[in-house]
Amino acid sequence: LQSPFSSMFPSKPFPKTLIRHQHQTSSFIASPTLKHSRKIKMLRRNIRLRKEYLYRKNLEGDERVQYEKKMKIREALQEGKPIPTELRNEEARLRQEIDLEDQNTAVPRSHIDDEYANATENDPKILLTTSRNPSAPLIRFTKELKFAFPNSQRINRGSQVISEIIETARSHDFTDVILVHEHRGVPDGLIISHLPFGPTAYFGLLNVVTRHDISTKKAIGKMPEQYPHLIFNNFTTQMGQRVANVLKHVFPAPKVDARRIVTFSNESDYISFRNHVYDKGEGGPKSIELKEVGPRFELRLYQVKLGTVEQNEAETEWVIRPYMNTAKKRKFIGE
Amino acid sequence: MSIAKASGFEALEKLMSTEPPVFLAPSSISEVARTASRYLFEKLKPFNPKSPFDQLLVDGFDAEQIWQQIDLQCQPLLSSLRQDVKRFAQNPKEIRKLGNLALKVSHEDDDVDEMDMDDDELEATESEGDEEEEGDEEEEEEDDVEEDEEEKSGDHEGIEDKFFKIKELEEFLEEGEAEEYGLDYKNKKGVAKRKKQNLRDDDDDEEDEDEEEDDDEFGAFAGGDDEEADKLGKARYDDFFGGKKKETKMKLKDLSEDDEAELENQGDVKLSTHEKDRIKLQSKIEQMEKANLDPKHWTMQGEITAAKRPKNSALEVDLDFEHNTRPAPVITEEVTASLEDLIKSRIIEARFDDVQRAPSMPTKAKREAKEMDDSKSKKGLAEVYEDEYVRQANPAFAPTTFSDELKKEASILFKRLCLKLDSLSHFHFTPKPVIEEMSIQTNVPAIAMEEVAPVAVSDAAMLAPEEIFSGKGDIKDESELTQEERKRRRAKKKRKFKAESAKDPVKKARDDTTENPKTVTGSEER
Repeated sequence: LQSPFSSMFPSKPFPKTLIRHQHQTSSFIASPTLKHSRKIKMLRRNIRLRKEYLYRKNLEGDERVQYEKKMKIREALQEGKPIPTELRNEEARLRQEIDLEDQNTAVPRSHIDDEYANATENDPKILLTTSRNPSAPLIRFTKELKFAFPNSQRINRGSQVISEIIETARSHDFTDVILVHEHRGVPDGLIISHLPFGPTAYFGLLNVVTRHDISTKKAIGKMPEQYPHLIFNNFTTQMGQRVANVLKHVFPAPKVDARRIVTFSNESDYISFRNHVYDKGEGGPKSIELKEVGPRFELRLYQVKLGTVEQNEAETEWVIRPYMNTAKKRKFIGE
Repeated sequence: MSIAKASGFEALEKLMSTEPPVFLAPSSISEVARTASRYLFEKLKPFNPKSPFDQLLVDGFDAEQIWQQIDLQCQPLLSSLRQDVKRFAQNPKEIRKLGNLALKVSHEDDDVDEMDMDDDELEATESEGDEEEEGDEEEEEEDDVEEDEEEKSGDHEGIEDKFFKIKELEEFLEEGEAEEYGLDYKNKKGVAKRKKQNLRDDDDDEEDEDEEEDDDEFGAFAGGDDEEADKLGKARYDDFFGGKKKETKMKLKDLSEDDEAELENQGDVKLSTHEKDRIKLQSKIEQMEKANLDPKHWTMQGEITAAKRPKNSALEVDLDFEHNTRPAPVITEEVTASLEDLIKSRIIEARFDDVQRAPSMPTKAKREAKEMDDSKSKKGLAEVYEDEYVRQANPAFAPTTFSDELKKEASILFKRLCLKLDSLSHFHFTPKPVIEEMSIQTNVPAIAMEEVAPVAVSDAAMLAPEEIFSGKGDIKDESELTQEERKRRRAKKKRKFKAESAKDPVKKARDDTTENPKTVTGSEER
């Protein structure tokens, strides 16, 4: 079996006989219905895209090494020190590359950033659904989340399989799929999956207070569906930045004068989600009246996978390990 | 009757002689105990007129029932005894009187017994009574205390209510102290009671002696007995270390019995603190050894499943686990307030972490959207063709279009900008030499330029007459000059030449060029 990379980039050109053979096979498969062939095309396309992704990921290691070397040379040049001996052979070539660099190429790219590279061009489109056989409180909570995340749609779960859901979402150009899980009516799990093979973040929900819990309709008031401003507090580590990215790209870019604010505040690895509407209060420009609107809950990240929800064999980027002796002392998202 | 009495007495003796542990084990001693108790019951019956039983019914009854009967008999006795004690407390002299009287009375009834009794028997009865009536003693104490409570409840009405009684508190404290200090307290009381009984029962000289001793002891205890609420507060040397007579009694007893049995049997023997401690320690040791032999409590058994421990027993135990994870945050008012403060400060600063829309790079340059003019074109089509031809053939003649002018203006501006930028950025900047704009004016007659299609060049000069020739006065041509004028001109010339040659010693080449080359051409032309 050839490895996928070598098949993508063969060292010698294919011999003609081989090409003819391939033609024959493809025609044989394409002969049944059109729908079937389209499915196969989609499948093949996905496979190809995944291969590309894996290849680029594989190159990252080399890229990183090159980047390190360039850094060393740049530092040596700046400080006026002699270039380290191990780089002497490659020094000329690297120096040339350094000269030709601009800000875009100087930074080493990782596959992680690629996932959200195109996310900023368009508004996100979200698909919200639940686990199977949801209870009435869970459905209500999902409806509330539909209002909390702008540009989102809720569908009934019915008896669909996860892979079906993901495929339909991909074909309809959704950017994110959010699943909500429960325990006896209390929502206790949230899975955010970015769609074109993006990362999946698994959260546990705690201290959930839904809008329906608050007694009367009058008391809770209306909730505007504006694109909100976002606040991320205390996401300082690399993992924290990653989680912040995942949560950030669920929301679209707001207007400058938007009155709605969504806050994600991290305190010892528990992220608080709050939804507020603000108004300029009386008493000068410095006073602000905040009104809490929308559900409120704590998120606890327990896993990040580098694939969509349906891909069972996807690599785990990070997983919580509470059984370690030092688990109490370590904080992964903030501080 | 006497036979029964004798057997009863023997039974008592036998009981007395047995070791205490034997009582705990079920054995034949029960029969003996029954007879002994029956004997005692009979003894006490005369003093209790209200007794419901003539004799203690022992056969076929179990311990509880026998005890109940004894209790029934003793209860009224106790109250009457208490009253007697009080009376004696007030009038100590009556004791002797009564004692003698009692002795006489009892002497009449039971001579044999009294005779046979010596110190040992006294002690035996005492001990017997002790064993049988320990419960009684406790009850007595309680009854006493209850009576006291009833008496003295009036003193503390302010503090007490149905839940709290100071008497009960004091009683509790004293019971505790009694336990602490051993059997003294009980013995004290028991001694007092028993002494009373003995006073009634015995009437020998020895008993007199005993009586006296008892009286002494009684006297010693008198104060303690009287002040029942304050017994241990007035503890005396005698209480702990006993009087001389007591010591002799103790020595006699030591010879015959074990220490422990003695302790159990003789209430009036006083032990030293060391011995008390030793006794306590030994009892503790026994307890601990017993606990070691028993199977352990389930909490000490290591890993326990639910089946091995009693039901719901885990609820009673305080379980403590070491948790490895930080507990989930409880959302309190303070937390919410701090979050809202953070949000407010961020709003005021307008510092949000929004998604930034990246401006997309255009893949193609935008087509120039040319605005189409709707109005009718002013130029005819032929004129349009003319303009095009002129531009092609002779770009200099063609009138400049609007866009050309714009382009020129743009290029001028750009040149200026470049000049400024160069001056700022270039170290070795030299400004470009100013190129004077030279527009070539050909001396073509105007009509030639104005003609649309200049076919021929006319003779009329392009230049103005002043440009051709500038001069003052009457200008005459050479042919017009008179002789004198010619001479004048020549002389002028000479003078000029001489002046110049005087300045400049070096001979210059003659400068053929004149000021106005055009004049030459102009004159030539003419």
